[in-house]
Amino acid sequence: MTVASSRRPAAPPISGKYCDDPVLEYKNVDHLRRFVTAHGQILSRKRTGYCAQCQKKLKQSIKRARHLALMPFVG
Amino acid sequence: MTQLYEGMFLLDNQVVREDWKRAKAIVTDTLSKHGAKVVCARRWDERRLAYSIRQRHRATYCLAFYAMGNEGIAALRRELDLSESVMRYLIMGIDAVPDGEIDRAGQEDAAGFSVPPPPPDDAPEPEPERPRRREEVEVEVPDLEEIPAVGDDDSAPVPARARKPEAKPSGTGV
Repeated sequence: MTVASSRRPAAPPISGKYCDDPVLEYKNVDHLRRFVTAHGQILSRKRTGYCAQCQKKLKQSIKRARHLALMPFVG
Repeated sequence: MTQLYEGMFLLDNQVVREDWKRAKAIVTDTLSKHGAKVVCARRWDERRLAYSIRQRHRATYCLAFYAMGNEGIAALRRELDLSESVMRYLIMGIDAVPDGEIDRAGQEDAAGFSVPPPPPDDAPEPEPERPRRREEVEVEVPDLEEIPAVGDDDSAPVPARARKPEAKPSGTGV
């Protein structure tokens, strides 16, 4: 007997395949802006489509950009 | 051991408006003072801040690459923390200077290059007024010896609360 899954399918990732994107750097603010919500929260790996290593780079870059007031912490 | 570093410094626009070279010298002199060899330094951008820092809404970013030993890092950070011109900074260790950075810094140093002045709308916010404390009112405290004690004198007026309510006349009064 099979049980139908009630989980919704995962939302498609935002960008294409992904790790060969422009360098993940705190100075590429326009690029980093694609990976935060309207409230400034960092998107999950499921949404960004990055591998674990690149997601860590993304997180670090966004936090550096926030420190330098290039990106907002909230809102 | 010498390590190559990338430093991004957030400079106050008031200092930059006076003279960019002087503002840049604040960063490079501080680095040199702590034993760093500055490879190149240039103005990265002038932009609006995502959030205000020290009541400033705009600032100029100075990007510098330098080599120094790790023994001077703590002292350098301490001085940058205390500096009034440097509002924020970020120091990262790197493997090599990115391509084109030295050329871009050289273009800035060349004669005839002028740094655009910061726009005039970055005046600092006025400091919010503190809520005023209630003025202390002097209350005159009566001398307790002058007040007669209750019961000492029959002629003394009895307080209204101590009086018994007068009996109402009974009957209709017809």
